[in-house]
Amino acid sequence: MALTIEHFNKLVKLAARAFYDDITTKGDNQPKSSRSDNRGIAVVVLDALTRRQWVREEDLAKDLKLHTKQLRRTLRFFEEEKFITRDHRKETAKGAKMYSAAVAATADGTQTGKEGEEKVKLHTHSYCCLDYAQIYDVVRYRLHRMKKKLKDELENKNTIQEYICPNCGKRYTALDALRLISMEDEDFHCESCNGRLEVESDKLATQEAGDGDDNARRRRREKLKDMLQKMEVQLKPLMDQLNRVKDLPVPEFGSLQAWEARATAAARAANGDGSASDSKTSLGLGQLPYNGDTKVVVDFNGGESKGEDIKSEAETQKVLPPWMIRPGMNLTKEQRGEVKQETKMDEASTSTAAQYSDDKKSAVENDDKKNIQDEFIKAYYAALLKKQQELEEAAKKQDDLSNSHTFDNPSSSAANRQVGMKSKRAEDEEDDGTEWEEAPVAGNTSENYKVSDLNVQADDAAADDEDDVDWEEN
Amino acid sequence: MFFHIVLERNMQLHPRYFGRNLRDNLVSKLMKDVEGTCSGRHGFVVAVTGIEHIGKGLIRDGTGFVTFPIKYQCVVFRPFKGEILEAFVTMVNKMGFFAEAGPVQIFVSNHLIPDDMEFQSGDMPNYTTSDGSVKIQKDSEVRLKIIGTRVDATEIFCIGTIKDDFLGVINDPTTA
Repeated sequence: MALTIEHFNKLVKLAARAFYDDITTKGDNQPKSSRSDNRGIAVVVLDALTRRQWVREEDLAKDLKLHTKQLRRTLRFFEEEKFITRDHRKETAKGAKMYSAAVAATADGTQTGKEGEEKVKLHTHSYCCLDYAQIYDVVRYRLHRMKKKLKDELENKNTIQEYICPNCGKRYTALDALRLISMEDEDFHCESCNGRLEVESDKLATQEAGDGDDNARRRRREKLKDMLQKMEVQLKPLMDQLNRVKDLPVPEFGSLQAWEARATAAARAANGDGSASDSKTSLGLGQLPYNGDTKVVVDFNGGESKGEDIKSEAETQKVLPPWMIRPGMNLTKEQRGEVKQETKMDEASTSTAAQYSDDKKSAVENDDKKNIQDEFIKAYYAALLKKQQELEEAAKKQDDLSNSHTFDNPSSSAANRQVGMKSKRAEDEEDDGTEWEEAPVAGNTSENYKVSDLNVQADDAAADDEDDVDWEEN
Repeated sequence: MFFHIVLERNMQLHPRYFGRNLRDNLVSKLMKDVEGTCSGRHGFVVAVTGIEHIGKGLIRDGTGFVTFPIKYQCVVFRPFKGEILEAFVTMVNKMGFFAEAGPVQIFVSNHLIPDDMEFQSGDMPNYTTSDGSVKIQKDSEVRLKIIGTRVDATEIFCIGTIKDDFLGVINDPTTA
């Protein structure tokens, strides 16, 4: 998806530079001073639109630091060119908020809109969006027409002359000639308004060069050939891009309403209210067009969350979001409470523990990542549960050494743990003597507190519990 | 292009023609009816050349007319794109000239006339080369190539060009 849209965006950018580079939106009657010369605006606007989906025109204007009027003129031009679709609607402040919620969902997942206050004032808002399917067709048609026109003129024997009525603008071809001749004079006359028809002369090369002259004709031919060649060369990148895009599925945003509904739904699913079912989340994930895969991969490696450590250190004490507790099931449920307490306790003393809870925090912030995480939890939990039960049983029977061996086994499910985890494990191994005695009884923490060396014990216990939590996050 | 084809038609014959030469009457009425007509599908019917089959007549209720289904052979003329025709010039104006090839009307617009021929208005409007050696005016014979046809249900109209090798005036009435 992300790749496809990249290709289409490139197409748009190429087309913009090829055809709309010197479009000025000013009327021809206005004198063009250097100040009002706004050529290139069209390209800028199109480029900006490739980075957005549906966008409110005021917002776009603000982003581009353009006057809304100027932007709207450009947009209207592109609407006529069939490059964009626009939608106008009267809406209350709330309606506008719904849109911004949708935008937030597609952008970074932070929901800013408050649903509280409501003004009944109606404003007409305009939205616009690139219409990739149409752009593809429009560009192809344009190229075809350009080529056809030049070729026709080059071998100018097979062209059918066209006539146009200057009064009513009606067009005729030479095939209508019999009906057009009038009795009074030798001119052709319009059927509807009886005006005198004029020969349509939109030919490119006929205007210059004196008529009749054989030399001039040859010059004209050469000029046309030259133009055709130049066109082939200069538009080659565009044609290549068209070919590349040919078999790709066209990115489709749908109408404004549909898009908005989808985006907000996706946002809700991503926010994960407790009742959100699995299928719903996965659906939401699929529909978020800009949830690039790359983002997710980065998250898996844990590199990104590391970066946020310092920033989010202050807010480590936030309660766990409901989505983390939901799939917790019977085993970890009691532990949850302890985890929180212990994190608070150890926060100051151990930076590692803090880091883990930080991971949690950053996960909370990145709403869109939760989708993946949610799903991953599911899959992981089955394995984790089994593992832990095994471990507990094993721990009761076996001695410390064998226990640590099972953990170190790289083929076990622990292999998927984060980078941060590994250093933690190394730490665990150093004082594994004490740790693994405690590990089986981590469930009832009352014993933890009984131990004399509170600080160390709590740390280890916390580390273990954090392990669990962290796996869930994966 | 000319074709020899078999067509079918239902002829209605008035009772007064019934008699010994009913068949002759039928054929002559057929010729009168179809020769010179134009259908978009087959082109102009130039001539009926023979009768294939005359079916059983059917008396129509209320009128006394009898309907005979007739299969007949005929020559048709249908112009095609790319075809070369010889035609008479019928009218010349600054937009070009009109010509006729049998029943077909052809228009040659001025940009399909060679560039070295220029329009001369006057009593006898014509297109003439700069040295005056070649002149296209009313009643000239030209050889032209059809580059477009418009076929309606009952009408065929063509546009042609003389801007190609071996096209143009073939017989000038003024020099002949």
